[in-house]
Amino acid sequence: MSAFVRREGGSPLESATWTSRQVFMTNLRTVGGRAYPRVTGMFREKSWVFFEILLPFLATSAFVFVYRAVEAPREYIGFVVIGGAMTAFWLNVIWMMAQQLWWEKSQGNLELYFAAPMSITAVLFGMAFGGFVMSSGRAVAVLVVATALYGVEFAIDQWLLLGGVFLLTMSALYGLGMVLASLFLMWGREAWHLTQLMIEPVYFVSGLNFPVARLGLLGAVAISTLPLAVGLDAMRQLAFAGAPYPEGTPAPEVEVLILIAMTVVLLAIARWSLAKLERMARRDGKLSIRWQ
Amino acid sequence: MAVGTPSRPVGAPPTPGLGVYDAARDAGGSWAVMRGFVTSVRLGWQMEANWTDPLLFVIYSVAKPVSSALILVFMLEVIAGEAGRSFRSFVVIGSALWAFVMSGIAGLAWAILDDRERYRMLKYLYVSPTNFLVVVLGRGVARLAVGAVGAVITLAVGVVVLGVPFDIAAIDWPLLIISIAIGVVAITALAVVMAAICIQTRMESWSYPEAAAGALFLVSGAVFPVAVLPGPVQAIALVNPLTWWIVGMRDALFPGGISSVGGIGTVFREWFGHASPAPNETILALLATGALATLGANVIFRVSEHRAKDRGLLDRTTGS
Repeated sequence: MSAFVRREGGSPLESATWTSRQVFMTNLRTVGGRAYPRVTGMFREKSWVFFEILLPFLATSAFVFVYRAVEAPREYIGFVVIGGAMTAFWLNVIWMMAQQLWWEKSQGNLELYFAAPMSITAVLFGMAFGGFVMSSGRAVAVLVVATALYGVEFAIDQWLLLGGVFLLTMSALYGLGMVLASLFLMWGREAWHLTQLMIEPVYFVSGLNFPVARLGLLGAVAISTLPLAVGLDAMRQLAFAGAPYPEGTPAPEVEVLILIAMTVVLLAIARWSLAKLERMARRDGKLSIRWQ
Repeated sequence: MAVGTPSRPVGAPPTPGLGVYDAARDAGGSWAVMRGFVTSVRLGWQMEANWTDPLLFVIYSVAKPVSSALILVFMLEVIAGEAGRSFRSFVVIGSALWAFVMSGIAGLAWAILDDRERYRMLKYLYVSPTNFLVVVLGRGVARLAVGAVGAVITLAVGVVVLGVPFDIAAIDWPLLIISIAIGVVAITALAVVMAAICIQTRMESWSYPEAAAGALFLVSGAVFPVAVLPGPVQAIALVNPLTWWIVGMRDALFPGGISSVGGIGTVFREWFGHASPAPNETILALLATGALATLGANVIFRVSEHRAKDRGLLDRTTGS
């Protein structure tokens, strides 16, 4: 029997009590349902290809030319290319994860999410998955085109570890996005400015275009708190195996452990903060805004 | 007269047909236009800053441009160390000026998206008696002002903390004033183009202005000399008003530094026969490219506005 068919029960309470399978299937459907508009919308808005793929590639190229102007070693151009590809995911986390619940509240959808018989975490997983697919196009385009155009030569010894680092970075990044989503919802209108604050300053402390260890103590703090910083650093070490790195750079294996810890902690915080937020919002009647 | 049709007062202008320019909307002359503009500037500022602690607001506004400058400073430091110090001034000045460009370009587009998608007021603003373009321009002024503050503070950080050489007595004031005046018009023109694009696109276009500004960054000589670009791209840079604005501002504020346009074997030299532009050439080029951008922006905005009305885009909300 389908998990979505209403079961006949002896009482309303019995009917309202779902099996674990029903709960799981509903949440799985929620993930798919929430990811769907992001993936489909990408194909419906044709301007997206120009503004989200071509133009960011040109912006990345600007930093390549800065390094060319000072005759930097070739691997540094590769650093810029990897950084340019990873910004796609960070921007997606900030614009389409962190801001999203606040945005849904402004649009009048938030109370519908909470009223529907599904987990809000599943909604965020759906957003994350859809956002990941959206951003992957841009990241791959920047990586492939820039590599071909600027002659970047990767030296990868450990493909499996590199793939693992990428996936762990994504898990930690979108986990952070979920945490920020609930925080931004609480902070309200300030969220917009926080979004601005989390782009260039985070690029700087994450060492977007240079090895993060060059930032000394600030770099160490970034590696221990920002998934983008630690993920980028590990991926660069694995993608340019022979390149010299500043003293104090943790080994990729250590950074993998940091990423695992970040993923676990961030997902746990996200789950806790979303539950707390839901309670607060229901208690204080803050699921909708005044003018709706 | 048909039954039910209201009669037109004696002396009132005829009702325009569907899709025909309604002169009554611009009635009242320049005073009415100015009043509409000032009101939308006030509205924009209230929406931007009336809710926050001033200190917090300054931090938000300044962290972005300062960080952009620091990214470039560290890139130079990592590669060139002491040898890159002369180039440091170049990138700090360029990225400070770029903060102003970014805010300017994004301001108008975000005003459109804010009013249409978040507050759902765009349709009401559109039917208000004030010219729509005047309202949109007014709404963008607040962000332009925030960008200007960010640029000035980044320059100050550059001079005080990063050792950018600055002599107030050496400033070329006429060049500075003319560059600012024409540059603001050119930046606003590019912002109008972005606003016209965002009228047509969905809610996800929040990041479009930054993407467009990022692409212009490549062809503006903001953080590296245009000479390092391939020939055809140098030619694009030379018809970009932002390139000339940055040259003018650099020459006015920091005379004697590295120029972003010109040099041996460059397209500039090929076209003009000498190594680098003189101040009057910079002003002429800025004026010509700025005028072209302004005319183009006006046409693009009108076309976009017409299409938006035709397809009901002023009243839609989207999301994903």
